[in-house]
Amino acid sequence: MRYGFAIDTKRCVGCHTCAVQCRYENNIPKETWWNRIMTDGGDHMDLASGQFPNVTMSYLPVACQHCDNPSCVKVCPVGATYKDEETGVVRQDYDKCIGCRMCMAACPYTGVRSFNWDEPKYMIAAEFGDADAVPHQKHVVEKCTMCWHRLARGEEPACIEVCPERARFWGDLDDPNSEVAQLVASREHKQLLPEQGTNPSVYYLL
Amino acid sequence: MTENVQATTSPRATSPTKSSRSRFGGTPLNIAIVVAAVLTVIGVVLWGIQLSGGMVQTGMRNFDSWGLYITCFMFLVGLSAGGLIISSIPCVFGIKGFGGISKIAVWTSICCTVLAIGFVVVDLGQPLRVWELFVYSNIGSPLMWDIIVLFVYLILSIVYLWATLRHEAGRVSAKALRVVSAVALVCAVLVHSVTAWIFSLQQAHEMWHTALMAPWFVSSALVCGTALVLVVVIALRAAGYLKLDQANVVKMAKLLGAFCCVDLYFFGCDLLTEGFPAGSGMEVVQMLTTGALAPFFWIEVIGCAITAVICFVPSLRKNPALVIAALLAIAGIFCKRVQLLVGGFQVANLDYPSTMTQFTITNWQNGMAGAYQGLVYWPTPLEFGIALGVIGLGALILLLGLKFLPLQPTERTE
Repeated sequence: MRYGFAIDTKRCVGCHTCAVQCRYENNIPKETWWNRIMTDGGDHMDLASGQFPNVTMSYLPVACQHCDNPSCVKVCPVGATYKDEETGVVRQDYDKCIGCRMCMAACPYTGVRSFNWDEPKYMIAAEFGDADAVPHQKHVVEKCTMCWHRLARGEEPACIEVCPERARFWGDLDDPNSEVAQLVASREHKQLLPEQGTNPSVYYLL
Repeated sequence: MTENVQATTSPRATSPTKSSRSRFGGTPLNIAIVVAAVLTVIGVVLWGIQLSGGMVQTGMRNFDSWGLYITCFMFLVGLSAGGLIISSIPCVFGIKGFGGISKIAVWTSICCTVLAIGFVVVDLGQPLRVWELFVYSNIGSPLMWDIIVLFVYLILSIVYLWATLRHEAGRVSAKALRVVSAVALVCAVLVHSVTAWIFSLQQAHEMWHTALMAPWFVSSALVCGTALVLVVVIALRAAGYLKLDQANVVKMAKLLGAFCCVDLYFFGCDLLTEGFPAGSGMEVVQMLTTGALAPFFWIEVIGCAITAVICFVPSLRKNPALVIAALLAIAGIFCKRVQLLVGGFQVANLDYPSTMTQFTITNWQNGMAGAYQGLVYWPTPLEFGIALGVIGLGALILLLGLKFLPLQPTERTE
């Protein structure tokens, strides 16, 4: 089994709903984003490259790529970041993390791992998000969990459910009958930074 | 006032060693020890502030997740390894050494190793969890290799120093000392290679991912280690702690010059290999030679070149110039460490504009384009303070050693 995502860049309009829902679901602290929407175009967000009328722009929602060959797992000195053998999800154990940030240096996907540089603070005083989401800790590394708490209940990750354009798909890439596997098989696609040899489980459909 | 009293009342000793020992130290050494202790205490307090108030007070952020502490760690492992290599080689190969400076060199190495470990500890977000390193060790992690080798190395250096002292007391045979020094030498080379592998085994950073890194780290270690030993022995000779023939200083200076040339040669090889394909490696070369890291690059290159010239030209190879040359070499290698660490983060793999916050990167307000304009990382005063505190701890150990350990050369030293 290898859980993964397929993201249809033809459908994604860069609305950031998945990123916001991710923050809500996991009660992510202030200043931290596990899922960020990158603009593939000009020098600024939502800016196209080129001159009108010859302009191009697309979006890449980027979170942890849950690599098949994760560089972060290899370098963690205490095994706080590890790959779940059954599902292929790259997990992070906040209780174990010593905060050395070796994984952040090793991960080729700039910024998908984040460190709680301060005591986690929240946008509102009340707790929100899913009750099963693991509480955040100061001075440890965290990242997309693929909504592990939801997978445990047999649900899809939160970002899949809310995408208004239905651009996000999730499932078992090893199962040829799954929606993601069929999309990857039938559509032209790319993985981010394939030259790094990490074989990410996130496919961007082109 | 107190100095005068001491100088006049101290009895004239008969033997030269004794007189030099009583002349060395005294009030100036005690003042230095107190200053180092105060620095250490200030460092500990600042570290407490960093831990309680959060590492948000440092200049490190998600995109540049290591900073001054890891730079100093790299640098000090180098100083330590270099110092030990230079002092153990004569013993290992049974060649004439540098006039009995090996005990001082080993003690300096031990202090640098303690410092290096200290810098890793202050960098940790959760220092109370360090015990996990020994319980949940992931043997595949280069960081774990480094921790293991560093501890073995520290213990071995202490054993080496102890064996040297026992040898002088006639308790350890020359053969046994030679074996210990050989093991220590191998370990010193290994400790700096493993430190290089922490960086060079990461394919994520173009600048770091080069097979040359480990030998290059060793050559840089030899440059700054030799330079440090040179500065320390010249200073101690001036302070009357030991006597050293100028021929030995010259021998060390020639070696320093040669090491500088090897290091610059490695740098040239690496730059050419990065830049020649004119692909993504060109970005690294430009960043170093003309970009944000250019000051550090040129200080290193010109500094090491000047050092080599001073060391090789007999008329320039006089003491004040030699000390300047050695300090230039040390500064140059520190600049190299800065280039390596900051340079690794200065080129982002995914440089698409995206959501940024104050935790993402230091200059986050102007988006991705603005964040990489200048240096992506610069330490905050708190980091400088903590670094100074850690260095204070090293100085404290060094000075206490000079005060209480018999590190001066004796007749049996060589």
